[in-house]
Amino acid sequence: MTPDDPHDAVVVGSGAGGAMAAWMLTKSGASVLMLEAGRDYSPDESPMLNMAMEAPLRGVGTPDKEFGYFDATVDGGWQMPGEPYTQAEGSEFLWWRSRMLGGRTNHWARNSFRMGEYDFKPKTRDGLGVDWPFEYKDIEPWYDRTEKLVGVYGSNDGLENHPNSGPGVLQTPPKFRVWETFLKAGGDAINVPVVAARRAVLTKKIDERSPCYWASGCGRGCSIGAAFQTTTSLIPWAKKTGKLTIATDAMVYEVLLDSSGKATGVRYIDKATGTHKEAKGRVVVLAASTGETARILLNSQVAGRSEGLANSSGQVGRNLMDTVGSNMSAYFPQLEGRPRYNEDGAMGLHAYIPFWDYKRIQSGEVDTPRGYHVEIGGSFGDPGMGAGSGLDGYGSSLRSDVKRRYGARIGFTQRGEMIPNANSFCSIDTNTKDKFGIPVLKFNFAWSDHELKQVTHFQNAMKELIDKLGGTLVSEPADPAKAISKGGEIIHEVGTARMGADAKDSVTNQFGKTWDVDNLYITDGSVFASKAHKNPTITIMAIAMRSSDNIATRLRTGEL
Amino acid sequence: MTDTTTPVIIAIDRRVTLKWLMGAMAVGQLAACGDQAKGLSWPELEAIKAAGIGKDPDFTNLAAPWPLTLTAAQLEATAELVDIILPGEGDIPAPSKVGVPAFINEWVSAPYPDQHKDRVLIINGLAWLDEESKVRNGVPFVRAEVRAQAAILDDIAFKDRVKEGLEKPAEFFGRMRSLTLGAFYTTREGWADIGYMGNTPGTGDYAGPTPEAAAHIKGVIEAMGLKYTPA
Repeated sequence: MTPDDPHDAVVVGSGAGGAMAAWMLTKSGASVLMLEAGRDYSPDESPMLNMAMEAPLRGVGTPDKEFGYFDATVDGGWQMPGEPYTQAEGSEFLWWRSRMLGGRTNHWARNSFRMGEYDFKPKTRDGLGVDWPFEYKDIEPWYDRTEKLVGVYGSNDGLENHPNSGPGVLQTPPKFRVWETFLKAGGDAINVPVVAARRAVLTKKIDERSPCYWASGCGRGCSIGAAFQTTTSLIPWAKKTGKLTIATDAMVYEVLLDSSGKATGVRYIDKATGTHKEAKGRVVVLAASTGETARILLNSQVAGRSEGLANSSGQVGRNLMDTVGSNMSAYFPQLEGRPRYNEDGAMGLHAYIPFWDYKRIQSGEVDTPRGYHVEIGGSFGDPGMGAGSGLDGYGSSLRSDVKRRYGARIGFTQRGEMIPNANSFCSIDTNTKDKFGIPVLKFNFAWSDHELKQVTHFQNAMKELIDKLGGTLVSEPADPAKAISKGGEIIHEVGTARMGADAKDSVTNQFGKTWDVDNLYITDGSVFASKAHKNPTITIMAIAMRSSDNIATRLRTGEL
Repeated sequence: MTDTTTPVIIAIDRRVTLKWLMGAMAVGQLAACGDQAKGLSWPELEAIKAAGIGKDPDFTNLAAPWPLTLTAAQLEATAELVDIILPGEGDIPAPSKVGVPAFINEWVSAPYPDQHKDRVLIINGLAWLDEESKVRNGVPFVRAEVRAQAAILDDIAFKDRVKEGLEKPAEFFGRMRSLTLGAFYTTREGWADIGYMGNTPGTGDYAGPTPEAAAHIKGVIEAMGLKYTPA
């Protein structure tokens, strides 16, 4: 089939949510047209073992390639020529886009922490935000299926609000490195857990994908298929069914409706020719990303209505959330001059600190309502352009300082929950259009006191841990309002088309079906009702799988 | 190469140089000097307008696309300086032997804002170094005796004892040190020196710490009165 033929489903986007939908639907026998705004991409392009010294500027980030020369992201980043976004006065929001097949899954950190029972019922626990329209136990089997399919390493530690996976689901995590064992010793002494991380990186072969070979930064993309991305998994699998048609360079900007209000397809710009085209399907699935999905809905014209499509609740674009981020770094004299060995490992977290202080939140001893986790970084890595940081002088003493301090510094990165607030949303900027003539998004964003207090909790807790291990802070942490990340900076933005139990204050039902249009679904991060501290991708995929199962059933029964 | 890369230097005596620099720093600006400014300035330089790497670079052609801009004299001074910063030792080559000066040339010639800041700092810093050496020793930095070179660097290389008025040259030296270490320790020779053993594909499970590394951290942890539990 070609993009001009009507398909059973039109899926907008090829990242975590779109590719999961495409695979689930094609697997069930439906024909799917996948539209991707960026170019075709294969991880065979990944510069797996290239040294930084082979790249211009030793591969450091530039305005062209913000995460470094070898980052998998092509035609994307914080800023893209001709495709601006704007910010309301006083707001600062960063929007990372990846216009390429597979989207942001090509370069993500692969951290895959399950949301737990508290995370799906936050309002019930503390009265803030909203609850999800289902409970953890409803999504649990879908997490198991997703993790098994994706390939996630980790361990089942039975910790509060950090659910175990089902038997046989997780792959064996890689061993802790020396500095991780060192941190664990400190954590154990002050009751801060340091446990195996969960990442979508294979440690055992699945299907045609190889296990990790313990080198090559995952952000470069993974040509051996060990680090999960849709371009080595869901998309090729969906292609194999013979039911998937892909159109790349297809910039969708509007959902088409018939006179009865049913979706008939989408309108897009074929970037190769500059022509406007229509794609037709029995069901339309939006998974263009939290920002882009909201933009498409808000830019879609609906006869007799001014608020855009699927927006009778007025919630489209609202409830924009990102992960709370802040950093600390400490130097540990006890790690100086330790024996060298290869610490590349899985090129990411082997261990992390899951949130542990739920009891004291409940008792009121802790004044921040929601938790965070800590991602830790150390290792004898490629020294990179930061090799000289914190050093002084010159000559042979400089050389011995470099070598003594190598591998003795540990970074602590907070990743915390944000509660939705009325000041954080996106809307259409009616004054600004992109190079295709499509009105762009304008962002409003503000943290609340809840998030700032959470930063303080993180800073105090890490100081205690660092102190226990005899470390010294590289610099005193800044005031939380300065230390906290910018909105969007952690690239975990979710919430702009949230699901809920009630059509009055949510955009979709629990299966991502928009309340207003029976055959219009959303399977990306925009449907999140809350933003737990857990990195969203694995949850996007689990929910997308569950929602797509619902779509597949309705297609099969002729309901759609 | 373009004329804009050549700094404006007017040689004058040392007292005037220092006086001018301190004055410029006091008012927080290092504007380009005119004929009347009787001093060595740290002028802003015109931004380089060359093609960058773009949003979708070709990984089969990794060379930086922009022209290199340092003069032969600037490159020579750079090579001299990076080798003083991190002298070769035994089998470990000096930075100039593994392409560090060429890297710094690529860096300061790049059409990006961060690199432009370094370009202003480095081109003016190299000029200052020569000027300072001429004032003190009567010859440019590269021709000065080792001890005379060290005397200049000792005034700018240590963050707690930067000579008053030399904050800007100290900033220049700090950047040169960072760039030198970063560039050197990303080479194979640098990896060998520091002991980086990665970027090496392996099969089977991740090997984890060697027995020696494990025994070492066990000793460290237990000496702190903590419990060693490898995972």
